Amino acid sequence: MTTTRRDIFKFAGGSALGALLTPAPWRLITDTALWSENWPGIPRPARGEIRAKFTHCSLCPAGCAVRARCVGEQPVSLAGVRGGLCPFGVTGHQLPYHPARLRQGPVSEAMAAVADAIAKCGPGERVAVLDLRPGRTASWTARRAMAVLKNGWYIAPVQSPVAVDLTKARTVLSLSAPLLERWGTPANVFAVRDGFRLIQADPVESRTAALADLWLPIRPGSEEALALGLAGQLTSAETAAMTGLSEHQIESVGQTIGFGRLSLVIDRAMSPAVVALNVKLGGWGRTIVPRAEAPVPPEWKKAAPVTDLAAVPDRSIRVLLIDESAPGEYLPWDAIEKKLAAGNPLVVVFAWSANGYGRYAKYVLPTPVYPEATDDIPPAIDSPAPCFRIAAPLLAAPAGVVTPSEFIASLAGLPPADALRERARAIHQGGRGTLVTYADAKSVPVKEVKPDDFWKALNAGGCWVGQALPPANFRAPVGQALPPANPSQGLVVLATPPAPSPASPLFTKLYQESDLLLAPNCIALHPQDAARCGVSAGNRATLETPNGKWSVRILTDSSVRPGVVLAARPEMASASGKVVRV
Amino acid sequence: MANNLIARGLKRCSTRRFLLWIAPWAALLAFGLYSAGLCLVEGLNQTNMDNRFAFGLWIFLDLTVIALGAGAFFTGFLLYILKVDELRAVINSAVVIGLVCYSGAVAVLMVDVGQPLRAWFTFWYPNVHSMLTEVTFCITCYLTVLFIEYLPIVLKNRKLREIPTFLVFEFELHKLIYVLAGVGTFLSFFHQGSLGGLYGVLRGRPFAFREGLAVWPSTFFLFIISAAAVGPSFVLLTTWLVEKISRKPLVRPAVLELLGRISGLLLAVYVLAKTVDTLVWINRTSPESGFPAAQYYSWRPFGTWILFAEIVLFGLVPALIMLTPRLRAHTGWLVSAAAMACCGVALNRFVQTIQTLALPTLSFDKFLSYYPSWQEVGTFLAVVAYGALVYSFSFRYFQLFPEERERYQI
Amino acid sequence: MNAQKKYGMSIDVDRCTGCGSCMVACAVENNIPPAHAGANDRNGLTWIRVYKVDNGEDYPGKRSAFIPVLCQQCGEHTPCASVCPQQAVDVDPRTGIVGQMPERCLGCRYCMAACPYHARYFNWWDPRWPAGMEKTLNPDVAPRMRGVVEKCNFCHGRWHAAKQKAAAAGKSEIEPGDYVPACVEACPTGAIRFGDLNDPSNDLRHPDSFRLLKKLGTDPKIYYRSKRDWVRNVAQASRPVSSQKEASHG
Repeated sequence: MTTTRRDIFKFAGGSALGALLTPAPWRLITDTALWSENWPGIPRPARGEIRAKFTHCSLCPAGCAVRARCVGEQPVSLAGVRGGLCPFGVTGHQLPYHPARLRQGPVSEAMAAVADAIAKCGPGERVAVLDLRPGRTASWTARRAMAVLKNGWYIAPVQSPVAVDLTKARTVLSLSAPLLERWGTPANVFAVRDGFRLIQADPVESRTAALADLWLPIRPGSEEALALGLAGQLTSAETAAMTGLSEHQIESVGQTIGFGRLSLVIDRAMSPAVVALNVKLGGWGRTIVPRAEAPVPPEWKKAAPVTDLAAVPDRSIRVLLIDESAPGEYLPWDAIEKKLAAGNPLVVVFAWSANGYGRYAKYVLPTPVYPEATDDIPPAIDSPAPCFRIAAPLLAAPAGVVTPSEFIASLAGLPPADALRERARAIHQGGRGTLVTYADAKSVPVKEVKPDDFWKALNAGGCWVGQALPPANFRAPVGQALPPANPSQGLVVLATPPAPSPASPLFTKLYQESDLLLAPNCIALHPQDAARCGVSAGNRATLETPNGKWSVRILTDSSVRPGVVLAARPEMASASGKVVRV
Repeated sequence: MANNLIARGLKRCSTRRFLLWIAPWAALLAFGLYSAGLCLVEGLNQTNMDNRFAFGLWIFLDLTVIALGAGAFFTGFLLYILKVDELRAVINSAVVIGLVCYSGAVAVLMVDVGQPLRAWFTFWYPNVHSMLTEVTFCITCYLTVLFIEYLPIVLKNRKLREIPTFLVFEFELHKLIYVLAGVGTFLSFFHQGSLGGLYGVLRGRPFAFREGLAVWPSTFFLFIISAAAVGPSFVLLTTWLVEKISRKPLVRPAVLELLGRISGLLLAVYVLAKTVDTLVWINRTSPESGFPAAQYYSWRPFGTWILFAEIVLFGLVPALIMLTPRLRAHTGWLVSAAAMACCGVALNRFVQTIQTLALPTLSFDKFLSYYPSWQEVGTFLAVVAYGALVYSFSFRYFQLFPEERERYQI
Repeated sequence: MNAQKKYGMSIDVDRCTGCGSCMVACAVENNIPPAHAGANDRNGLTWIRVYKVDNGEDYPGKRSAFIPVLCQQCGEHTPCASVCPQQAVDVDPRTGIVGQMPERCLGCRYCMAACPYHARYFNWWDPRWPAGMEKTLNPDVAPRMRGVVEKCNFCHGRWHAAKQKAAAAGKSEIEPGDYVPACVEACPTGAIRFGDLNDPSNDLRHPDSFRLLKKLGTDPKIYYRSKRDWVRNVAQASRPVSSQKEASHG
């Protein structure tokens, strides 16, 4: 039999028709659909046993209680135990995977270099630790270590010895304090928000100003003048001239917060002038209270004192160790730099990324990042009682990282004991206060808890709450000299409330995929100012301040005060800035 | 190239000249295919469309070419169903235009959707309430009809006629042509209409939303009439263009005039209907959904001029020109009017697509603008180049204008 | 047979600080990737998006407010559901939630053109997480591929989990506290509340509250409230406020 071309065609045609009667083509269609549903490269979420773990967020001093939803050991989402978390807290479990995160660093080399530099310290030259969030147990370790070194110094921003009690306040006057943003503990502040009238004196319509009952648009930098004016140390006319408010406005605020009306005046760091004003208003012991620190073991008392950076003589530090692992108040680098000894000072930075002070350091040593880090969080400004809570790690830290306090302790030859546990023991021995546990929402007096159980509970997200101090023996600080009312040359650059860096990569939702937050590379100014600088929205420009130059993108916003530039990065803040179009 | 493929009795330019003519189109097509390929491989991030401008140049293009391609069904309807025999002179050309427009539109749609591999889901899980389902079904079916209608034109080619089976097949197909014309008309009516319905049903876009008759919003009917009106105009325009480019008389002037008259008549009906619809929309539909119609025209550049241009300048004026016998007899007037009618429909489709999406609906939303990326323009140009190429080849090797031989004087 | 639920939200604009917790919590819960480098505020993925609105005046008269906008779960003439050519969008009669099936979606984006709230988002890019971050993905939600549309579904994964929990306990009804979307849980100010609109006890439909674009007749299920007159006016104006044309930020 010969096969013709026609036969081949017939066969092919028949096969095609026959194939339609088989499941094959239909299966192929379904498979195409399935394949397009499982697009290559799409990660599959890991599955496993789901459980809840409790800890505290150490990203900022608020230290919110956190319930972590974990798949196996891996946290997949975080939620607040008492109310919601801020966006930084919500995305905290993603920080270990931040692309800018450091994982390896020259730890032993740095250790040798530091030991060598300490040995070679000249007379009058110092070894110093700069702690950005003092009051932690790690801070105590650093202070003890510096006490052991004969030329050691412990430098930290001055902490206010007071706390505020928002639950008692009927009126709150906020002098540019971001009360409703990142000032106290967000959930606590909002839990009592309906109980007080909020007056926000703020040069820009900040988020707090937007939700305040009254917003007083004051001149930038005139917060202290307003405090002094309200305290009667300046006349209404003087205050009005400095703040840019009308005398009538100032007098009306003065009446609203008048003596004995359960008023509270706050500013960003509770400066002495503001504390004095509160005392004058009769708030001492009511809306503003002294707060003790959680107990520490008696043998720790031999620690180096806390020195303010401003009090350190210039050119005196030979070795500077900066603990940036727990972010706090921002200190401009030039303020730090002028304290360094001339001629090759050694700067070692402990940080999660090289983008902070690491840019100026000889060594940047990677630290564990929340939620890998074990740390405690000193009480927030709106917590009248002392407390002790641990950011218990939810994840194991990678191998290459170093804990700053351990590094510093080993320099001084302190035993590598577990300082947190020692402190917990001391607190337990004190026998005061209560233990609050979140998993079962219980509050038990410490006396009724065994030491081991106490420690275990703290590590499972428990919190020790002490007793508030009786309001005795307060010496009101004297109002300080006035800041010069300078008609600034150029624009005043104000930074939005400092972010507890790092931020999760998901923050693109807030400033790239929407314009909710000011992006780190953006500045906002009033359309008039923009026109004056020759820039318009969307332009690239350079922001020039005495602290440096930054390439930025321009946003215009008529809610920004004319003469003011709003920036997201604290290092951009300055009294005289210039915007130049690129 | 194979000059013995050219129909007997027709004179076409030399192969060399033909190659010179198609070379730029081929280059444009290659560039366009590259652009489209980028969009398919890299994803639609290559375009300037976004969540607000979910539709852009391509959907505008689709709506416009499908309206322009309506000449195929409407000429077929007039010729085979209503027996307007003069139109036999342009029916083949109209079919090629239709095929080009529809296949081009479908090709662009395949690039436009995010997951082309799932396009068949519409047939598998159709949502009968969706205008897009209606569009998809009708367009794919009608594209098939157009292919079948195109076949006899291809099979009449000198070389292909040498194969007896093809001859028989072509003869049999020819008997079917009345059925095909009927089916084509039915399908076309529906998809032209449902393309209009696409926007008319958008309750969330008060600028586009229209009340309707039965299940169809008024734009359903407006699109049918406008497409029927502009189809003959486009056939007229292309025929005139081909005559100019090939420098040959292809049809009797009376045929062009007839096309103009039909177009003018339907355009007049469309202008009337559109005016009534606009008035109802301004005074009732839009205010009822909370939007005073005046606000749509307060966003530059979309002033009321656009309404004037759409209805009067590119609607009423060409309609009147084409309905006035004296003006119509003048080729210059006739062709200009046809071009204006085409522009009018394009403008209408532009307004429906772009203005609808640019206007804010939420009170605190922004008015947004959109410019297509080069990849979008490239893909757009690919369709134009593809159309020019298919038409050029068809014109060279198939007999698109039956009267050409008779009128060929030299 | 279960009683029909009609889940909805009440958002107190006067408590929203625009912090963005809801937006990132939503992204965490629903496995939404960080932005591609080329993304901007018009082609990102923000199932809930906080708009900054203002009274249109200049400093110091300018007042701002933040309005979170998410899928409003339209109950009548649901604009996106009727237009989808392949039934990738449906309204669940048990919950009133407008569901989106990305696995069914072909990415025609007709639903996006139909949505008056711009609450639907297209995956313009392949989803990418920084190395290692995919470990933090929520096991209850499948990540989507590029080329499909997605939107808020009131955290459908959480609804399922609550259902399972109820079933395991032998109950037919979900305990109200067991089903709370991520944005509600995350909001530090308690501005967003969630519940069954059919249940009069939860006061979600306060008489003072308003809904966005209510006049379109789509019965949206997100209720907003504000004591500030200008906020109510701006949110319900029939004509957009012109000052919104300029770029806004936080």
